[in-house]
Formats: sequence, C-alpha cells, structure tokens
Amino acid sequence: MIAAWKERAVLALALSALAGPAFAQSEGGVKIGVVAAQTGAFVSAGNTIGAGVSLAVKEINDGGGVKIDGKTFKLDLLNRDDRTDVNVAIAAGRELVNDDNINALYGTESHDFSVSMTKITGPAKVLQFTGNSSLGAILTEQSVAPGGPLHYTFQTEPPEFQRSGSTARGVLKLLGKEIGQPLKNAVVFVADDATGQYLSEHYVKALEANGQHVDLIKYPPSTTDFTPLLTRAKSLNPDTVHFWYNGDVTLIAFPQAVQLNVAKGYFLFGVDPGVWAERKLVSTAPVTLSCVPMCWGAPPSPEAKSYFDRYFAAGAVKGVQSSVSLLYYDYVHWYAKAMEEAGTTDPDKVVAQIEKMKYQGVVSKVPLYFDKRHRVTFATEVCLVKPGTSDKFECAVEEPPAEPPPGDNAG
Amino acid sequence: MEIFLQQLINSLSVASVIILIGIGITLIFGLTGIINFAHGEFLMIGGMTTWLVVSHGGGFLLGAAAAVAVVGALGFVLERSLFRLTLDRPMNGFIISLGLIVVLQHVVIRFWNSYQKAIPQPLASVWEIGGVRIVAMRAAVVLITAVVVAITFFAISRSRYGLALRASVADQETAALMGVPVRRYITGVFIYGSALAGLGGAMMIALFPITPFIGSVIVVRGFAVALIGGLGNVAGAVLAGLVLGLMDGLSAGYGLPEWTEAYSFALMILILLLRPQGLLGGTAGPKAI
Repeated sequence: MIAAWKERAVLALALSALAGPAFAQSEGGVKIGVVAAQTGAFVSAGNTIGAGVSLAVKEINDGGGVKIDGKTFKLDLLNRDDRTDVNVAIAAGRELVNDDNINALYGTESHDFSVSMTKITGPAKVLQFTGNSSLGAILTEQSVAPGGPLHYTFQTEPPEFQRSGSTARGVLKLLGKEIGQPLKNAVVFVADDATGQYLSEHYVKALEANGQHVDLIKYPPSTTDFTPLLTRAKSLNPDTVHFWYNGDVTLIAFPQAVQLNVAKGYFLFGVDPGVWAERKLVSTAPVTLSCVPMCWGAPPSPEAKSYFDRYFAAGAVKGVQSSVSLLYYDYVHWYAKAMEEAGTTDPDKVVAQIEKMKYQGVVSKVPLYFDKRHRVTFATEVCLVKPGTSDKFECAVEEPPAEPPPGDNAG
Repeated sequence: MEIFLQQLINSLSVASVIILIGIGITLIFGLTGIINFAHGEFLMIGGMTTWLVVSHGGGFLLGAAAAVAVVGALGFVLERSLFRLTLDRPMNGFIISLGLIVVLQHVVIRFWNSYQKAIPQPLASVWEIGGVRIVAMRAAVVLITAVVVAITFFAISRSRYGLALRASVADQETAALMGVPVRRYITGVFIYGSALAGLGGAMMIALFPITPFIGSVIVVRGFAVALIGGLGNVAGAVLAGLVLGLMDGLSAGYGLPEWTEAYSFALMILILLLRPQGLLGGTAGPKAI
C-alpha cells in the first residue's frame, strides 16, 4: 500500500517537472491585475474597470501582443472583485502582487481603497493606475520621485479642482441657458462617506468660484428614501441641486426631487445620457448629466463612439458609469506602448518612459501626459437633457481651470 | 409651516415602507422564533420578480401578485428545507440566514447581473395641496400598508387561527396536546411573513430603483421596528414604524442631515433600554419544540 503511494508521489513529481516549461512560458507574459467592485454598492463603476481593461488586453493580444526588444509578450489579465469592501480589496491586492507577481494594477475606483492599495503596490514596484482624484492629496513631487513611496502610482483622472471646475462650468452654462435666468443658489447633495466628503469639498469651491451661494447636504450612504432630506433642500430655495457622486444612488434620489419640485434645474454626476435614453427617463425640469470622462450615450468624438461600440459589442453591460471603462482602456494601451518604447518590462524604466511620454488615446482630443505629480488633465463632458425628452441632449466640454479656486488646496 | 407639513407627509410614507417590512419580521421572529436576517433578500427578490414581470410586458399589479406568490413559495421551501431543522437551535437558523443573504444575492446576480433595476412608476401623479406635494404612488403604498396591517391584526387577534397561533407561542406542548398543528402553523406564519416581504419588494421598486444589495439596508430597519414595537405585536410594529418614520423626517429636516440614521438607531437603543419588551410588549419567541 505504502509502495503504491510512493509510486504515485514520484509520478506526481515527474508530472510537475514536465509542467515546468509551461509555467515558465506563462511567467514570460506581462501580468495585468484588476481590483474593482464587481458586486456591492460601487458595482456600476467597478464593473467597467475589468471590462475596459479586458477589451484593451484582448485588442493588444489579438494584434500580436507587446513587442519588447524583439520579443513578443502576451498580456495576462487577472481580474478580482473587491465586493466594495476595503478588506477584500486589500486581500485581493496582496494576492495579485505577492502571489501572482503582477506587473501593473488597475483600480480600485473607491477613493480610500486606492490609497490603501498604494501601500501594497509601491514597495513591490508594481505600477498602479487608478482614477481616483483623491490621490491628488498624497501625490507630490517628492512622493512620486524615484525611491518615493508613490513612484509607481499614476492618477488617471485630473486633479479634483480641475474636474470639478470643468464640470461646474459645463453645468452652469447649460442649465443657465435652459432656465433663462441667472443661477445664484445651489445645493450640493452628497453621500457622507470618504469619497463624498473629498469630492464635495472641491465641487463646492468650484461652484462658489462660478458665483454660486452653496449649501451642502450630506446624506447617510445607505439612504433610499430621500424625501425628508430633499424637503430640507427645498426649504433653502435653490436654483439648482447637484447630486454627487454615485450614479446609482443619484438615480434613486433625483426622481424624488422632481416630485417634490425642489429646484429649477438639476445636475446628476456620473449618470450617462445613454442610461437616460435606455430607461426612457423623462424630466419636466431641466437636468444635466456628466460622465467620467465622456458619455457613451453622447460620445463627443468618432473615436469615443467607436470605442463604446466595441466595448458593448464585447458584452459589457450598459450602465450609468460605463464611461469610466474608457479611462482604464486607454491606460492599458499607454502602459503597453511605454513598455515597447522603453524596450523592457523593468518597472523603473517603464515609469521613466511614461513620465516623458505624450499619449494620444481616446479619452482626450489632445495627447495626455502625466505632470510632475503623476496626474493628467482633461475636460469632463456635461450634457443637458431637453425637458420632456429622453434622447435629446445638448453637450458641452468645458476646459478645466489651470489654477485651483480660492479656498481649494488643490489636494 | 408648508415644509413642516411636507415633512410629516414624508414621515408617513417612510413609515409605511418600514412597517410593511417590520410586520413580516415581527411575525416570523416573534411567533416562530426564527431569526431570518435574509428577510431583506426576500424583499429584494420580490422587487426583482416585479421588475421581471413588468419588463416582459406584464403590468405592475401582475408583477406585485407574482412577487407575493414567488417569495411566499420561496419562504415555504426554505422553511421546510432549512429553518425547520433549526427550530430547536435558533442560533443555527440565524447563521444560516446570514449565509442565505450571500447565496440569494449571488443567484440574482448570476441570472440578472448586479446592476440597478427600475420600473416606470405605476402611479405618476403628484397632487399639490396648499404647497404640500403628495405623490400618488406613495399614497397608494400607505393605503396598501394600512390594509395589510388591518388584515394581519384581525387575523392574529380575532380569528381562530390567530388564537391557536398565540396559544402555541405561549406553550407549544399544551397547544399541540389540544390538537393545534404547531409546526404547520409555524410554516404558515413563515410563508405569510415572506409573502409580505414580496409585497414590500413590489412596493419598493414602484418607488425606487433597486439592486441585489438593497436587502441588507432594509432588514436592519425591519428588525428595529420588530424589537421597538414588541416581538410578534402587529400594533407595536405600526407604532414603531411611525416613530422611526417621524424621527427620520424631522431629523432630516431640522437636525444634522448626515445623522438621520444615527438618530433613529439611538432612539431604538433608548427605547430598548427603557422598555426591553418593546413599546407595546410582545413575546419572547416560542420555546423549543
């Protein structure tokens, strides 16, 4: 009996030795990790990260892979669900970085999660591309310098004062024209969590810089019945109510605001015109929508339209924040191009290459580049839904301000 | 004054949804002793069923009827296959219900993805009376809740079935010796409570879009209503729902808005400290069979 077991053990060892070359071949690829919410409260944004990266990886591999120094490397995608739970996100990040030895990580979309993740990717020299503008508070020239803790971290969305500034300009321009009178009083309605607190801080300043008196109402993140809070907003006599930042929650709160006739016009952050049209939503009041970075329901360029056609043809779900996928799609292509131009997968050389590159992707009409704090700049698209319609949009892409408004620390 | 009246109307609407969920929980928890934390997922499945029916061309009423039937049937299957086996160990049933939360969520995600689902509001009218706006669908939910409360109250307190049920909660052994089919009654209560969750889900999706994760948000409120009102006490659940709804409305209107939920749960803690048996008193749950 024991002899039989020994035989099996020897056979197993022999088989694993034979399997060796296959593992070696797999290690020769470039491993791309994704950590994002594919279930839980942030699913609408999180799902899109995996889908956008997956499309980019497929296109690169179908095109022959990444050509580095005469050799061809395929991209291997390792996709993990963080279930909108920071502990799961950290565990998944550790698994990808320590066990799977990934070269680059994309995600997460939750602000505090991303910051936590940099503690894992940085020491392991894994490049991290994450869209969260809250990274701006910790990305400094010192922290991203060689040897700095965030040398391998790249913020793929503009600094928040720029995104808020671009958005506020677009919203006020479109709503002001539609309402036909000067807009003075605004209420910003935001979830009382880390992301909401961070974002609203900048957006309030951006509105104030555009001549608005702003009241801020924070709601508990698990709220579903918003009528008591919206009635409070109504008591402040606002011209406009601005809902930030979770598109799904916004679509719960907004109809309640219209029923209560809270304001003359509304802004819904992170709700794509495409979803508005798909769900055949109609509002009697003027409403503006914005997408990060551009809307799949009203793409502002042929390249963006082509991207979203391919994205949905690949099976991605049409969601409120499917547009976020574009950010991650572009940055996979950028990373691949950087490795090709650097002629290596060595993280230090690839980071140095990215720092000096200008990359023309889909996300912006002008080539993107990372500044000395590893941040990019591009405008945010805002669309007005014509009252009483579900598929008539007027869109604007307002350039972001170069400098932060008074009181905004640019962090 | 206009704003204050609006907040009172809002409170009534908030309360009616909480009451609908709380009654199912208070009956199951109070009368059968089963602690089913997956009750929120039952509600979610009710909402998803309604969405499926409406999105395939059925009307809202058909969707709501289907939600009641599907979730009632789900309650029957789960009571017979899982919870019945844990009646003498309620803690096991509680842990099983925690597992059920994840399982039911993932079954729904597997077939219908995790994205938000919405239906057109069945009643879209909004009435304005003296500056106060009343949403027709919310008024309908208040009305439906009132009817459900009345039926349940009379069934529990006036019918022979209710009398036998209360007898079996007080002393199962004696009730069984008197010919009361206790286990069948437990199944019946579980099915009824589940069906109410199905109806709650239909009402919920008529008011707001829902996701597969809505249940865990709602269920805590349901348990709060059950405990504040007194376990198994329908009138208590109504009173507790009204208290919590009023707390929500007034704290959102006049307190720190981000503290709305904290106020409600602080009130719950205070009430349970002062009146551990709940506002109107209730059962301690039946003893093991």
